[in-house]
Amino acid sequence: MNIILRLAWRNLWRQPRRTWLTVGAMVFSNALLVFMISIQFSTYELMIDNTLQAFTGHIQVQAPGYKDDLKMRQVVPDVIELASSLRRELGTETIAARAAAFALASSEERSYGLQIYGVETQFESFVSTIPGLVRDGRYLKDQDAAEIVIGKVLARNLRVSLGDEVTLLGSGRDGSFAAAIATVVGIFDSGVPDIDRSIAEVPLGFFDDVFYMEGAGHQIVITAPDLISVDPLKMQTEALVPASLAVHDWDALQPSLKQAIQADLGSAFFMYGVLVILVAFSVLNTQLMSVLERTHEFGITMSLGIAPGRLGRLVFLETAMMGLLGLVLGALIGGVVTVWFGYTGFSYPGMEEMAVNFNLPSRFYPQASILTLFLGPTIVFVGGMFAAIYPALRLHWLHPVEAMRAAP
Amino acid sequence: MKRFFVGAITLLVCLTAGADTGIRDAKDIVRDAINHWRGTSSQGEMTMTIHRPDWERSMSMETWTQGEKRSLIRVTAPPKDRGNGTLMDDNNMWSFSPKINRVIKVPSSMMGQSWMGSDFSNKDISRADDIVDQYDHTLLSESQVDDHIAYEIQSIPHEEAAVVWGKEVLVVRNDNVLIEHRFYDQDNELVKTLRTLEIGEMGGRTVALHQRMEKVDTSDEWTEIIVDSVEFDVELSDNVFTLSNLRNPRD
Amino acid sequence: MRALAVVSMLAWRNLWRNHRRTIVMVSAITIAVWAMIFMTALMRGMVNDMIRDGIRALPGHVQVHHPDFRDDPSINNLIPMSDAALTAAFSRSDLDGWSSRVKVPAIISSERESRGVTLIGVDPELEQSIEGIGSNVAEGRNLEDVNDGGVIIGRKLAEKLDTELGKRVVLMSQDPDNEIADRGYRVVGLFEANLELQEEIFVFAGKATLQKMLGIENQVTEVAVLAADYRDVSDETEQVRALMNGDVEVLPWQELNNYLGSMLKVMDGFVLVWMIVVFLALSFGLVNTLVMAVFERVREIGLMLALGMRPASILGQIIVESILLLIIGLILGNTLAWASVVPLQDGIDISAVAQGMEMFGASSILYPELTLDDIVLANVVVLVLGFFASLSPAWRASRYEPIEAITKV
Repeated sequence: MNIILRLAWRNLWRQPRRTWLTVGAMVFSNALLVFMISIQFSTYELMIDNTLQAFTGHIQVQAPGYKDDLKMRQVVPDVIELASSLRRELGTETIAARAAAFALASSEERSYGLQIYGVETQFESFVSTIPGLVRDGRYLKDQDAAEIVIGKVLARNLRVSLGDEVTLLGSGRDGSFAAAIATVVGIFDSGVPDIDRSIAEVPLGFFDDVFYMEGAGHQIVITAPDLISVDPLKMQTEALVPASLAVHDWDALQPSLKQAIQADLGSAFFMYGVLVILVAFSVLNTQLMSVLERTHEFGITMSLGIAPGRLGRLVFLETAMMGLLGLVLGALIGGVVTVWFGYTGFSYPGMEEMAVNFNLPSRFYPQASILTLFLGPTIVFVGGMFAAIYPALRLHWLHPVEAMRAAP
Repeated sequence: MKRFFVGAITLLVCLTAGADTGIRDAKDIVRDAINHWRGTSSQGEMTMTIHRPDWERSMSMETWTQGEKRSLIRVTAPPKDRGNGTLMDDNNMWSFSPKINRVIKVPSSMMGQSWMGSDFSNKDISRADDIVDQYDHTLLSESQVDDHIAYEIQSIPHEEAAVVWGKEVLVVRNDNVLIEHRFYDQDNELVKTLRTLEIGEMGGRTVALHQRMEKVDTSDEWTEIIVDSVEFDVELSDNVFTLSNLRNPRD
Repeated sequence: MRALAVVSMLAWRNLWRNHRRTIVMVSAITIAVWAMIFMTALMRGMVNDMIRDGIRALPGHVQVHHPDFRDDPSINNLIPMSDAALTAAFSRSDLDGWSSRVKVPAIISSERESRGVTLIGVDPELEQSIEGIGSNVAEGRNLEDVNDGGVIIGRKLAEKLDTELGKRVVLMSQDPDNEIADRGYRVVGLFEANLELQEEIFVFAGKATLQKMLGIENQVTEVAVLAADYRDVSDETEQVRALMNGDVEVLPWQELNNYLGSMLKVMDGFVLVWMIVVFLALSFGLVNTLVMAVFERVREIGLMLALGMRPASILGQIIVESILLLIIGLILGNTLAWASVVPLQDGIDISAVAQGMEMFGASSILYPELTLDDIVLANVVVLVLGFFASLSPAWRASRYEPIEAITKV
């Protein structure tokens, strides 16, 4: 084995320029793949996180059917107690109860229909970024205060500012007339016009009072520390809540998100596929040439008794060595570039407008991980090995006598 | 001889004239039914009960009406709803709640919402008299019910009427009490029915004392209105139907 | 001239001396070219569709509003100029298409359901000229004129409302005095749009009928204008600005929808980057091939140099070899790309991720679009970069010392 290894290695360096060019193709592709995949995955994670953490959370406990029908009657009973016990059992604070209603908000001059959410003032900031996006004034504090926090666009449309009163009109849980006045204590700016125009938050206690909820709510929102822990967390939650309630994960709550990512992945894989194929061709070219030009040599070797199978292995070994070299160097370079951009940030013209649409910052900082470092290069490596099959086969089919007739 | 003929002809003319004024067309029947219910003015008390599969709620209310366009309804019980009021004038509707101490004009986007959580919509309550002029009425049948004649009238909304129904059918007694009001969609399927369960004398008139509004699809959900007391043709000053009265009851 | 002919002939023959290597290289080039053009066609098709859909939804390339309208799209923000004045001004101009419309939020009700929608009063003839959404009536008929008493709604909306063609619906909105304004309308047509959301939100009625219902005779909330080429609408924007009196906002579509506006730029950049990346991956193989070709023929080259061929001719030979390789690959690649795009003209159905595509603003059927610009770009990139890639090996070949070369083992 040792001899074959050494032979393979030396064969590579008989034609240094050719070997370097082939390895160069691999390094180039690998570095590119590492960089691109890091950016892609960082983008996806960011997209998911930002969208979900803005408001939806990773998991929600709801009444069955609420997700699609959004009827006031479809409640989670005793929502505050349930949220609190979930916090205890799951050992995390990132859980908050909410109630929701469609209502008319009026100021002196205008009225608008919007979604009002009653929130747990202490815990809402753990499941949503909105509390942190309050630019003017402050977020809600007292669970029973007649206060309201609205988005910047809504404040502008209603022509209200801090300290002004907003009248809320809607239907309570039992269909009765619900009306209240709340004072604007905070105005948030999420940068997403839809959110800034149509969401308003009031303390859950106040909401319960106004809409006659009798302790019930509509959602318990749970955020997980990362995407991987969502599934186990969901199973634990299902075990802890009454069977009459439904537990949804973010895929069910925001199906468009996962699909958008899938669509993007699809097109990306096509592109990466092309790169891998081109590199494979490079390898094919090189190895084929290298085999053909050594025909005479191989002929002699075989007539001396070495089995063609072992010679075939030689080709694979050579390819593997190049592949490994390309993998390591490519991953290294790609990794360095990624980390560097991870520090200085990455942006391209036109990205800002796109970013707003997907809840992304206009400049982001890609992160390298084991997956992103080695996914691309590994596939290239495998592609190269596949490319070596044909040259290896040709070797296999070689007739010693004919081979020796070839030019040395 | 001649004098006999003249007399006979005069009598005949009078009789037929009298007979003519006794026959009403479908539209008149409907108009009379609506007017009967509203009169020139009225003041009364009623109880509304809303029934759902998992709960039931009752509210007591005072009502005032004047002409066909104006009405005021104020809730007197239970305590949590006391003081809530609705004022209607022509097509406009205002709502008042003592909790927020504010009068709100109900905007178009809320007109489809249910009134006070019942099976009547804001639009149902405020537009009850539209039916007379915005529809074409046809008498479908006459039948005998107890000692009264019941007219069954089909009312089809005009092309541009702001009405979603394909047609409505009213069953009205000859003393102008509305017995039944059926609402059909545009495929002729019955969607909801207002039925009079009890008729009696009150305030000098025969009125529907107990009515129920029910959707065909959901039998365990309905709203009932029971008239506790009513007086007709009372003296009501215009001040009753103002926003300030809505807000601050004088009585 | 003669020299060129000789060089070319030699180059061609040289290619086929090692036909296996040449075939491998040509295949690689073909695949690279195919990938460049095909991918670009797909992306272009998607982006162009997105932009066209977006513009159709606005609609128009340029729009005019009251300055507060975009924040507060209510009836209180009417365009100061009267409809009659607008008609006079715009019909005198030479704009491709324009339409003045009344756009207000409204509630539409059927017997069983109600929904919030955007109600738009239009003149159907003018509306056709701006190719707005409502002009694609799939069932029933379009509005006949501004006094038409019917409405056109989206197919999806009809489903949600549980209503159908021929039935009446009630539209309710508010007039400038805050009073309820409503009316029954018959559904005379159902339209289809690429994005489901558009089918649920837009409802079209006759302009005069709506103006009467809302009590705003002779006034509108919006003017939409169609330009000749969506890529550059600055001229038309200026033209429209000149036609308007009073306090109004005139904006091109790129500003009305920032996301769409940036798409074009991003796409152009992306296409170029993609092509360069693919070529770079290819270039390693290309250079490799040429280096090998030269290496194998060292003695031969040495002989030719010794016999008096000028180094420039050797340089030329290698370069021509490379160019020939590229040209064959280009021809095959272009053909393959064209052959793979044509059968897909009916669109690639990716409805499995339809909701995700809606998030991008794209429909769930992809139509590849081959543009001359993109094809030319791909070919130019390959030829030009290929030329530069082949310079190094060609240069080295021409620099050989004849004696050393001949005696190389």
